[in-house]
Parts: sequence; C-alpha cells; structure tokens
Amino acid sequence: MDKPQEIDFPLAYPQENMTKEKLDLLPGSLDLLVLQTLATMGPMHGYGIARRIEEVGADALLLNQGTIYAALVRLQQSKWIEAEWGTSDNNRKAKYYQLTARGRRRLASEADNWQRVSNVVARILRAKDATA
Amino acid sequence: MNVSAVIDRWLARVRAVFTKRALDADFADELAHHLESQTEENIRLGMTPAEARRQAQLSIGGSEQLRELHRETRSLPWLEQSWQDLRYAVRMFRRERGFTVTALLILAVGIGLNTTVFSLVNTVLLRPLPFAEADRLVWITNAGSKQELSGITSQIDTWEGLQATNRTLEQIEAYNPFSIRQTYRLTGGGDPLTIVSVEVSPGLFGLLGISPGHGRLFLPEDAAKNAPLRIIISNELWRRRFGADPNIIGRSVQINGDPVEVVGVLPPTDAFASVFFPAVRVDIYSPLQNEQYRLSGNVAYLIARMKTQVALPIVATDLKLAIAQIKQNHPERPDSDRYEANVTTVHEWVAGSLKRPLLFLWVATGLVLAIVGFNLGGLLLVRGLSRRKELALRCALGAARGRVVRQLLMECLTLVAAGSVLGVLLAWGFIQFLSIHTSVEIPLLQTLRLDAAALDFTVLLCAVTAVLCGAAPAWKLTRGMDLQKSLNEAGRSSAGGGSQSLTRNTLVILEVALACGLAISAGLMVRSLLNLLKTDLGFQPSDLIAVRIDPTVQGSQTKYLETVLDRVRAVPGIEFAGMTDCLPVERDRGWGIWTINDNPKEQRGNGAHVRVISPGFFAAMGTTLFAGRDFTQMDGPDKPRVVIINRTLAKWLWPSEENPVGHQVGLSFQDKLFTVIGVVGDVRHSGPEIPSGGEMYLSMQQELSYSWDMLVRTRLPVATLTADLRNALHDVDATLPLMKVRPMQTLVDRTLSSRRLLASLIGGFSAIAIGLAALGLYGVISYMVSQQTKEIGIRLAMGASPATVQWRIVQPTMRLALGGLILGVGGTIAAGRLLQSLLYGISADDGITYVVALGTVLACTVVAGYIPARRASRIDPMVALRTE
Repeated sequence: MDKPQEIDFPLAYPQENMTKEKLDLLPGSLDLLVLQTLATMGPMHGYGIARRIEEVGADALLLNQGTIYAALVRLQQSKWIEAEWGTSDNNRKAKYYQLTARGRRRLASEADNWQRVSNVVARILRAKDATA
Repeated sequence: MNVSAVIDRWLARVRAVFTKRALDADFADELAHHLESQTEENIRLGMTPAEARRQAQLSIGGSEQLRELHRETRSLPWLEQSWQDLRYAVRMFRRERGFTVTALLILAVGIGLNTTVFSLVNTVLLRPLPFAEADRLVWITNAGSKQELSGITSQIDTWEGLQATNRTLEQIEAYNPFSIRQTYRLTGGGDPLTIVSVEVSPGLFGLLGISPGHGRLFLPEDAAKNAPLRIIISNELWRRRFGADPNIIGRSVQINGDPVEVVGVLPPTDAFASVFFPAVRVDIYSPLQNEQYRLSGNVAYLIARMKTQVALPIVATDLKLAIAQIKQNHPERPDSDRYEANVTTVHEWVAGSLKRPLLFLWVATGLVLAIVGFNLGGLLLVRGLSRRKELALRCALGAARGRVVRQLLMECLTLVAAGSVLGVLLAWGFIQFLSIHTSVEIPLLQTLRLDAAALDFTVLLCAVTAVLCGAAPAWKLTRGMDLQKSLNEAGRSSAGGGSQSLTRNTLVILEVALACGLAISAGLMVRSLLNLLKTDLGFQPSDLIAVRIDPTVQGSQTKYLETVLDRVRAVPGIEFAGMTDCLPVERDRGWGIWTINDNPKEQRGNGAHVRVISPGFFAAMGTTLFAGRDFTQMDGPDKPRVVIINRTLAKWLWPSEENPVGHQVGLSFQDKLFTVIGVVGDVRHSGPEIPSGGEMYLSMQQELSYSWDMLVRTRLPVATLTADLRNALHDVDATLPLMKVRPMQTLVDRTLSSRRLLASLIGGFSAIAIGLAALGLYGVISYMVSQQTKEIGIRLAMGASPATVQWRIVQPTMRLALGGLILGVGGTIAAGRLLQSLLYGISADDGITYVVALGTVLACTVVAGYIPARRASRIDPMVALRTE
C-alpha cells in the first residue's frame, strides 16, 4: 500500500501507540460518516460503506473496517437506518442499509453540531498558536 | 438528544440478549460478503487469490474480536452473561433431577407456608381494619368479663348518656349482639328460608365508612318508635334469593309473615360481619330501636370515633367523667347497676386475643423457612464440593472468581425463584382453603386474599433465601481455588476442607435444634387440644342435635312448642327432646339473681346465665340433676314461679348449705319471687376453654322467649332426622324451614377451631422440620461416607466387622443430633413464657412431652444416619479400594 501522507483533517487526531502515520477517528464521528455516506450514496452494504469512507478519506484515515459494523448495528438499533437483505452487483447476498426519515433528521442536526464544535476548536487552537 | 432513539436502542439491546444465535448468524453472513467482496477487489488489483484473501482478512481485523465487538455493541453483555448463567443453571438442574426436585419441594413448602401465614398476620394484625380511618375507631365496654355478653354490653340509657356528656368522641354508634341469636323466616318467592339478622344503630355503617352497594343506609327515622319495618340485606342473600335484582330497593319481602321494606343492599364484602361476626353468615340488618330495648338491661355494643388529635388515655378519662356525670343525673338507676365505660381500640378488641397465637405461628413458619434455608445451603455445599474440579478448571481457563461466584449465585437464585413460584401457588391453595373454611372463627378470615403485600413479602423472602443459601457455599467453594490442589484433591478421599465440614455440621445442628423446638411446641399444642377435648362440658354433645324452631304462629307459643315436642318425641329413634332459648356454646345472656333475707346485709347476689327451657331438657342434654326435680307440665303460668340453678350458683348464693332447694330468690326484670326447685351440674356454656359461671333455668311455661332450639338425643343421621321431623311436624307448621339442624359436637368443635387450626399447623410444621433435619443429616453423612469409601474398604479388608464400621459412622451422626437437641431444648425453655399463654391444662415444661418430642427427633436422625452407615458396611473391599 501507498505510504500515507499527513493531512490536516478535523475529524481525526493522532494516535500514539498505533500506526503513527494514519489518523484515528474521533469517537462518535464514524456514525456521522456512515450516515453521511448513506445520505449521498443511497442504500449500500457494509463493504460498500467501508470502501466509500476510505476512498473519500483518501486512505488517510486509520479505519478498522470491522468497526463499521458496530456503527451500523448502533445506528440500526436507534432506527436511524434500516437494513434489508438483497443481492449485490457481484450477485451475492448482501445486507443493504438505508437512511430512515429519523436518520436524515439526525444527520442534519449532528453534522451541524460537528461543524460548530470543530470551528470553535480550530479557533481556540489558532489563538494558542498566536500567543506562543 | 433523541429520546425515542435512545429507548429504541435499549429495547433492541435487551431483545438482542435473547436472539443471540440468529443475530450471530446474520452477522456471519454479512462478514462473509464483506470478505468475499474485498477478496475479489484485491484480485482485480493483481494479487494472487491466496494473498487477496489474506489481505482482505487483515483489513477487517480478527474475526473473533469483530464478533465480540458486534455483540457488545448490539446487546448488554452483563445481561447476556446472566441469561447465559441462567440457561446453564437450568441445564444443570435438568441433569440433576433428584437434587432439583428435592430442593424445589423443600423451597415450595417453606415459601408457601410463609406467604400464607404472612397473609394471615397481615390481614388480622398488621393491616388496619377494613373501615374508614380505622385508627380512630374505639370500642366501649361495660364492667363485666369478656366471657359474658350481658356483662360487657351497655344499656341504651348509658349509650345516650355518653353521647350527651362526652367531649372526646365524634359519634357513638351501637349494635345489638344478642339479635344474632334470633332467626327469622323469609317466605314468598321460594322455599321458606331461615335468616339471621343483626340490629344496628342507623349511623353505624356510616361511622365505619361502609357505603351501600344499592339503595341507602338507615336513617334516624327508621329507628323511631313504631317506624315501618325496614331492612338492609346482604349481597349474598340478594344474589341467592332475589337474583341480584336492582329493583329490590323499596320492595316488600315477607319476614315472619310481616311485610318488610328493603331499603339497601350491602357491597359484596360485608366488612362489618367479617370483623364482628366471623364464621357467621349475617343475612339482614335491621335498625336498633332504642325504645324497644330501653328497659332490657345491657343490650348494646358501643363503637365510637375519636375526635382527631385525641389519644386513647384522654378518651378513657373523659368517659370516666362522663359516667360519673350520668350517675349524678340519673339517681333513679339502682346502685346494683354498676355500669362503666372502658375504652380500647376496635382493632385490639377484635384481634387482641389472636396476637400471641399468630405471632407464635409466624415465628414457627420463620423457623421452618430457616430450616429450609439451612437444608438447601447444605445440599448446595455438598453438591458444590463434587463440582470443585469443574470450578477449578473454569478458574484455570480464565474465569474471574467474581464470575464463578455469580454463576453459583445465579444457580441458587434460579432454584429459589422457581421454588417461590411453586410456593406462591401452594399459598394460593392454602389461602383459598382458609378463606372458604368459614367455620374457623378468626376475624377477617373470609377476606383473606393473596394480595400485593403478600407477593412483595414473598419476593423479599426469595431474595433473602437465595443470598443466604447461595452466598456462603459460593464463597467457600471459590476461596483459595488452587487448580493444582483441587484437581488433585477433587474426587479423592479427602473429606473436604476442615472449614467446610464445620459449616455443614453447624447447619445440621441448627436444623436439628429448630426441628426440636417445633416438635416440643407441637407436642404441647396437641396435648392442650386433647385436654380440651377431654373436658367435661356438663352435657354430652355426641348424638345430640340442635334444631332451630322459631315459632311464628299466632296464639300460645307454649302450646305450639309443647305440640312440637310431643310429635318429635313420638318419632322412632329419638330418645329425648327438650327446648331451650339459649343453646350452650352458641349463645349467652345473663341476669342478676339474689337471695331473699330479712337482713338486707346478708343478702347475696350475683350475675348468672339465664336460659328458658322445657321439661325434659336436662334429660336430652345429659346434664345431671343433683338435687330437687326438673320442671313439669304443672309449673304453669298461673303457678308459683320456679327456678333451677347450677351447683356453682348454689355455692355462691348459699355457701354453707348442702341443698338449697326450697329457698326463694329475686331475679332481674321479674316482680315475683322464685323458688329454687332443683340443682343441676355446671354446663360450660362458652365452650370447653371457659369454666362455668352461675347458671339458672326458667320454665318456658312461665317465661316468654322468642327464639328456640330443640335439642334431640338420637343416633339418626342429620339428613334422616330432618326428613323425619319434616313429616312429623308437617301439620303443626307447614312452613317451618328446618334449615338449622346441627350436631352439638360441631358447635363445640367450632369453639376449638382456631386452636385446632393452630395445633394442626404447628404439628405439620414440626413434621416438615423433622423430615428436613433428617434429610440434612442424611445428606451430610452420605457425603462423608462417599468420601471415606477407600478408608472403609481398607478397614473391612483388614478385618473390621460391619458393626464396627457402622458405629464409626453413626457416632458422628449422634454427636450432631445431640448437639442439636441440647440447643433446641435450651431455646424452647427460653421461649416457654410465650408458649405457656397458648396452652391449656399443661405446663410449658411438661417432661413427658419433652421426652416424646426429643425421642421422635432423635429416632428420625439416627435412622437418617444409619441408612448410609449400613450401605457403607456392605461395601465390597475390593471395589472400594479401586474407587477413584
């Protein structure tokens, strides 16, 4: 695999013990990413979602693909997404996930929230730089 | 935060605990799809198939961790573990059927008994009476002793006087307890029915907070002089006789031939009767008319409501002052009329005498549960010891000690919970039996139900039992769980750790001690009951049948009764027959009686029970005539007044005379003097437990009375007798209901019903206790034997005789049993004071009872120890030596 490059990505923070080069997801952000993925791409299976997040994150994210499934079950139990068994492009049995109306509302409010928090955090960090 | 999302998530997580298998399969399919898709992708990127699969697996992580993560996220790990423990426990119990059935039975009995007795104690003692603001209800009694109704009831004048003068009571109401004795005939709309009525003051039901099911309660004008007859009927009569017709209100029914208006129907549960007339079915209530009873002496029980923020002692003082005031205002009331107003709470009056027996019963059931707990603890411990290997393995494989303890506790809780469910079913059965078994005279027994409080209590018991039985063995078994040692030891002939056998021995000693205490109590109770059954009542209740005769015919009542007696005496199989207006055991009333002396200072007087009888009454009763003669047809209304007295009364009135026949006496409510014509034996008119007081008998030809029982001495069965009587009396009185044909023995037994119930319960408890103690001992000894198989084999091989081997095993059994006996005897002697108050004719430290009870317990324990000993002595040495 390619050597990853360092990027400034507000969704991630460096993890010390593990692969230092990749960025680990902030807790809770994975759910948001899954919801956003389903919102843009429509119904998708777990593998598709994992691939999509990796692609968009340009492989800079340290994404343990398995954790996607924990996120999916969490979201499904909260009824933000719903699941149905179907057939995938390669003609295999796959479980498809899809945003519910409740999930759409949740995505909107969470994305907004995230944006505001990250703006504040960024502002504070910049201010610290200035004084140093 | 989205609340419904949170709720949905939690519900889904709980659900997931129970659908683990399906969810796991689902996730496995999903993962498979993921891996295959990734593998294909990797192949497309140019990897070899093997490498592609490896990389796919790497990118997703270890499949076991994945599954674990998925499970933790989607469900509740601790709940899942408990669920797993539960299923594991159920599986274990299904495999060990013998142990499980024994444990469940023991638990069901222990919990069932406790739930039942708690319900009883709660209904009778703990819960307030089923009346509005029952804590402010008080009972006002007169000066006499509780055994004589005429002594503790009050006059109408006293009642009205107290109402006018007291300053601490809101309201005083009354009922006439004598009115229950008279029965009436309800005719029209079916066979004539014998009904029972109680006279209540118009405000009584209102005071108690009883509201009518239909219609209205009484109004003051219903009790006015010459008011039209009005009644309130019981819900039961309403359903039985009037088909629950709501239009009954305002209609007339025929009672003793008179039209009576029904103004109300009581609610389904008659709270008044269930408290004040347990084991009696009251059919109608009529208004207590003050004018009718103003001159009748003591007729009314008084119930009052205290003003708020007034305490009982203040009421007592207030009523003392009120009585003094009444005496001052009414100098015309004679000095001999020593009336008082003593006050107590209604609850104390009704249930006070049951406090000790019920508490005793409660303690006894508690002891039974303790034995059950000890026994179960012992069983679990023994069973646990044989599982040491398994437990050690589990610990070695990484199970934390807490996890193993939890597993053991869960097993115990499962067992106890299942036992409790069975116990509640058992309790439900007991309670049904008790509440329908209306012949037991315990107040409120008919209202006994398995209620929420009882179930709460059961849950509490269940939790306490589970923790006590489960915690100790779990703790002991997992302590110092050294794999190496346990694996080596388990199954070997080391007889468990020293501390474990100490625990087991302690449990067995305690069990034997408790069983011992219960056995002694049961012995004392049973012997008290036997003493009472042997008591000479002064009449022979066997083959004696009481037939209620309530004349409604116009004209001479005496004539009617004499005709009835003549016809009945002619029936084949009837030996004797006589009339009384006051059936022994069931009724009592008292009058004053005094000697006539020239010097008033020497005049002696006393209260005595009075009953009006026909000639031949004593012959029917089997009561001995000691001096003088019985009444005859000659003692007519126009002849000199005559009276027969009992021996006690004769002693009271003429202490120095052998034969008082011929003396003259004065009586309450009578202008004429009476001549004593006979002296008869004492009759225990209030049941076997209460000694006779003074008694006098008047002739029915000279004194009117309203309600009669005919006593018939015959060996005929009740059904045959009833049919014969109906034939014989048809042309005398065609509508005579003949509904109350009751053997006297039944009535006598009813006075002993609470005592009989207590004795049989305690007897049952002690049998259970002895059985459990023996079982516990058997378990311990069997275990000990199984651990010593090899040693026993060696001994036998070396030439020890079976007797020696047996003795070596029976000996420790005896040591444990004796330890328990000593402890049990000590405890029982300490509890002697409580016991003594429940006994009759026997001392709480009665030696014979102790010896018999202890002998029984000892015999059972020796047998329990001997069975495994005998088995051990028959071991084949070769087999024993090879066991491992």
